[in-house]
Amino acid sequence: MMPGAMTFKSRLGRGMLAALPLLALGLMLVAPLARLAWQGWSGAPEFGQTANVSLWSVWQDDYLRWRVFWSLAQAGVTCVLALVLGLPVAWVLARFEFPLRRLVLRLLMLPFVVPTLVAALGVLALWGPHGVFSGWLGVSLQNTPWLLLYGNLFFNLCLVVRAGVDALNQVSARQVAAARSLGATPWRAFWRIEWPAIAPWLASSLCLVFLYCFAGFGLALVLGGQRYATVEVEIYALVAHELKLAEASVLAVWMILLTGGVALAYAAIEKRLAAPSRVDPLARRRPQGIWQWVALAGGLGVLVFFCVAPMLAIVWRAVSAGSEAWAQVLDEETLDALWNTLRFSFMALVVATVLGVAHALVATRSVAWRAAAFLPFVVSPVTVAFGLLLLYPQWTASLPLLVAAYAVLAYPFVAKSLAAGLDSLPPHLPQAARTLGASPWRTFWRVTLPMLATALRRGMAFAAATALGEFAVTLFLSRPEWATLTTLIYQRLGRPGVANLDVAMVLSCVLMGLALLAFLVIEWPQRNAASERDATPAPRGPRVAVAAGHREKELSHA
Amino acid sequence: MNKRIFVFGAVALAAWTLAAPANAADNELRVMVHSSFSLPKPMLAQFETQSGLKLSVIKGGDAGEMLNKLILTRAQPVADVVFGIDNALVAKAQAANVLEAHGLPALAGTVAGAEKQFGALVVPVDYGYVTLNYDKAAVAKSGQALPKTLDDLTQPAYRNWLVVQNPATSSPGYAFMLATIAGMGEEKAYDWWAKMRANGVKVAKGWSEAYYTEFSRNGGAYPLVVSYATSPAAEVFYSKEKITESPTGSLSLKGGVFQQVEGVALVKGGVQREAALKFINFMRSAPVQEALQTTMWMYPAQSSTPRAEVMRHAQEPTTFESMGTDTIAEKGSQWVSRWTQVVLK
Repeated sequence: MMPGAMTFKSRLGRGMLAALPLLALGLMLVAPLARLAWQGWSGAPEFGQTANVSLWSVWQDDYLRWRVFWSLAQAGVTCVLALVLGLPVAWVLARFEFPLRRLVLRLLMLPFVVPTLVAALGVLALWGPHGVFSGWLGVSLQNTPWLLLYGNLFFNLCLVVRAGVDALNQVSARQVAAARSLGATPWRAFWRIEWPAIAPWLASSLCLVFLYCFAGFGLALVLGGQRYATVEVEIYALVAHELKLAEASVLAVWMILLTGGVALAYAAIEKRLAAPSRVDPLARRRPQGIWQWVALAGGLGVLVFFCVAPMLAIVWRAVSAGSEAWAQVLDEETLDALWNTLRFSFMALVVATVLGVAHALVATRSVAWRAAAFLPFVVSPVTVAFGLLLLYPQWTASLPLLVAAYAVLAYPFVAKSLAAGLDSLPPHLPQAARTLGASPWRTFWRVTLPMLATALRRGMAFAAATALGEFAVTLFLSRPEWATLTTLIYQRLGRPGVANLDVAMVLSCVLMGLALLAFLVIEWPQRNAASERDATPAPRGPRVAVAAGHREKELSHA
Repeated sequence: MNKRIFVFGAVALAAWTLAAPANAADNELRVMVHSSFSLPKPMLAQFETQSGLKLSVIKGGDAGEMLNKLILTRAQPVADVVFGIDNALVAKAQAANVLEAHGLPALAGTVAGAEKQFGALVVPVDYGYVTLNYDKAAVAKSGQALPKTLDDLTQPAYRNWLVVQNPATSSPGYAFMLATIAGMGEEKAYDWWAKMRANGVKVAKGWSEAYYTEFSRNGGAYPLVVSYATSPAAEVFYSKEKITESPTGSLSLKGGVFQQVEGVALVKGGVQREAALKFINFMRSAPVQEALQTTMWMYPAQSSTPRAEVMRHAQEPTTFESMGTDTIAEKGSQWVSRWTQVVLK
C-alpha cells in the first residue's frame, strides 16, 4: 500500500477527499464543456447551424484535417527537438562540475513561470519582423512554423533537460565504471548503461512536452499566425467568432480523446517508474581538455539561445522603451491592475492548494485520478470560459467564479508535484508515527506533510505563476475594475501608436518580474534541501522534478 | 505553516460560498461592452453617484464575440444594456432576438448617416470608418505613388503592399470585406480578392497582429494596412515624442471604406430597464461624446459635439460604401466562407 494511503485508511476519509477535486472538475470543467456541446448538438437554428455535423466531419474537411495534422506535427517535432537538444545539455550538466552549476540548474525552472503572453512577445521581439535576431540575420521568421516551434522549445526544453539531469543522477556509477574497465568507449557506455536507465524518465517528460504543445493555446494563438495555428485556436475561433458550436464541440471531442490518451499513457509511465533505490551516483568532474569545455559551453549556449534569449529580449525592449513608458507603471490604472493580479493570484493559490492536496492524496493509487489532473491542461481555457458563461450566467462577473476558474486551471501543478512527492516518500516514517500512537490526521500533519514541503512549495510556485499570467478567463469573466496586468497588456496591444506597444513591453517585463518573484518567494527557502538533493540524488529525484515541471503556460494563454 | 494554509483555505472557501448570492445588488446595472470600450474612470464614477447606480461593466471581447455571448446567454441574460452593437451586427442581433426596443424618441442632432443605420432597437453613440492606412515613410521610400483605386493594388508595382485582417476573426477585417462587396459588387469583389491573393495580400488574424507586426510603420513589411480613419490621430496622441504630423495617413478608395456606427441598446430580459435608459442617455451626453473621441477613437454621433484637437489628424472620408443591415445579416456568413475559400484555402 502506498504511504499516502496508509494515513488515510478509512474509505470515508478518502471519499471526502476525492469529492473536493471531483466537484471542482465537474462543476468548473466538465459541466461547462458539456453545456457547450449540448448547445451545439441541440442545434439552435438561428445560429446558422445545420445540426448534421458528424463526428467524422473533421476528417472529411481538408482544412480541419490540416489543422489536426499540424497540431500533432508541431507537438511531435517539438518532442524530437527537445530530446535531441536537451539530452546532450542534460548530460553536460549532470556530469561536469563547473562554477555556478547549481544556479544554472535552478534557473532551468525560470521559463516555467513566464506567462504565455509575455513569452510570445519575447519570441516576437527576437524573431518578429523587427526582432533582434531577425535584424542581425536579415531574415524574419514571421509566417513560418519556426516561430511556434521556438516558442514551444522555450517552454519545454528546460523540462526535458531538468528531467534528464535528474535521471542521469540515478545512473549507477559502478555499472558505468565496470563497462569502462571492460573496454567500452564512453559513447558505448552511455548507449548501453546510461541510456536504458534514463529512457523511461525521458519518455515521461516527452509525454508532457507533447501534451503541452498539442493542447497549448496561447503560443499557437499569438505565434501560429493564420497558417500555423493549432486545433485549440480553431476551436476558439469557431466558438467565439463564428458561433459554430457543433463543429467546435466535435473538434473538442477529438482533442480530448487524443490528449486523454497521451495523459493516460503519461500517468501510467509515471506510476510504473519505481521509486529509485539508493544508487551511487557518478562523481561530477571538471571538464578536461578543450573539447569538454567546448561541450559544456555548447550546452549552456543552447540553453541561453532557447530559454534565456526571449526573456532578455523582453527586458531589453522594456528598458529601451524609455522613462515615459516606465512612468506608466506608477499610474493608478497599472497599480490597480497590479493589486488585482496579486489579490486574485493569492486567492486562487489558496483554493488551488486545497484542491491540489486533496487530489494528490487520492491520486496515489489510481492512474485514472492521475490522468484526471491533466483535464485542466487538455481543454482550452477560452472554451471553458465560454461554457462557464453559458452555465452560470448569473455568476458572470462574480469574484467567486473568477477565482474558482483560476484555481481549477492552476491546481494540477500542486496535485502533480505532491503526488510525485508522495510516491517517493519512505513509508516507514508515517508507519512509525502510527505505531507510536499518532492519529492518521496527526501523522499527516506532523510527519507526511513536512516531508512533502518541498514538493508542495514547488507545486504552489507553478500554480501561483499560472494564476499571475492567467488571461483568457479574466477577459471573459472579469469586470473593468478587475483588470489584471495581462488584460492591461492586451488592451495596450489593441491601440495604435508605438508608445502603447512600449507600455505593453514594460508591463510584460513587470509581470515577468512578478512571476519570478512569486517563484523565488516560494522556491528560495529550500536552498538547503536542494543542495542536499544535489549531493545525494536518491531517493526523491526525477519524479519530483518532472512533476515540478508541470508548468502550464498554455493555460495562461493569450 | 501548511496547516495554517489549509485552514485558511477552507475558511476562505466557505466564506465565498456564503457571500456569493450578495453579488447582484438591487441598484446594480450590468453593462455589456466590447473590449475597446473605454471611458475616463471619474466619468463613470460620476454617473454612478448621480444615478445612484452601481455599474458593472462586462467586457465581452471583440464586438462579434460580444454579440455571440449575448446570443448564447439570452435564456438568462448576463447584462441589462449593451454598448457596441454596430451596423454590421444589428440585424444578427435582431434575428437572434436579444435586443429590446428602447422606446426613446429619436434624438435631435444625430449625425445623418448614423441615425439611418439603426432601427428602433439601437441608439447610435459614435461612428467611424474602417479604411486603409499607409505608412508615410515607407511609401516615400518606395518611390511609388499611392494607389488611386483598389484595382491599382492588383498591379505588380504594389505586390506585397497590403495586410488585411481575416473577416472570420476580426471586425475591421469583416467591415473591409463588406466594403469591397458593396463597392464593386459581389462577383467583382471576389475577383479582386483572388487577384490580391496572387499579388501577395497578407492576412492577419486580428487588428493588433496586422498593425503591430505586419505594418511597416511598426517594423513589418507591409506599407498598407486595414485600420480606422482615426488611427493617424491616435498615432499622434500616443506618440512618444511630441509630433505635429502623423507618421501615417488614411487612404479612402472606392470599395475600401466602411462606415461603422456603434450604439447602445437594451438587452431583452434585462431587469434594470429604468437604469438602462439612464445609461443610454448618459452615453449620448456631452461629456461622454467628447471623451469617447480620444478613448475609443470614434467620432461622436451627437453632431454638436466639439471635436477633440487631435482629431484634425483624422480626416473623415468623404465617400464610403453602405449596405443594408439586413443584407449583411442574410449574406454575411456566406460571404466570409467564400472569402476564406478565395483568399486562404
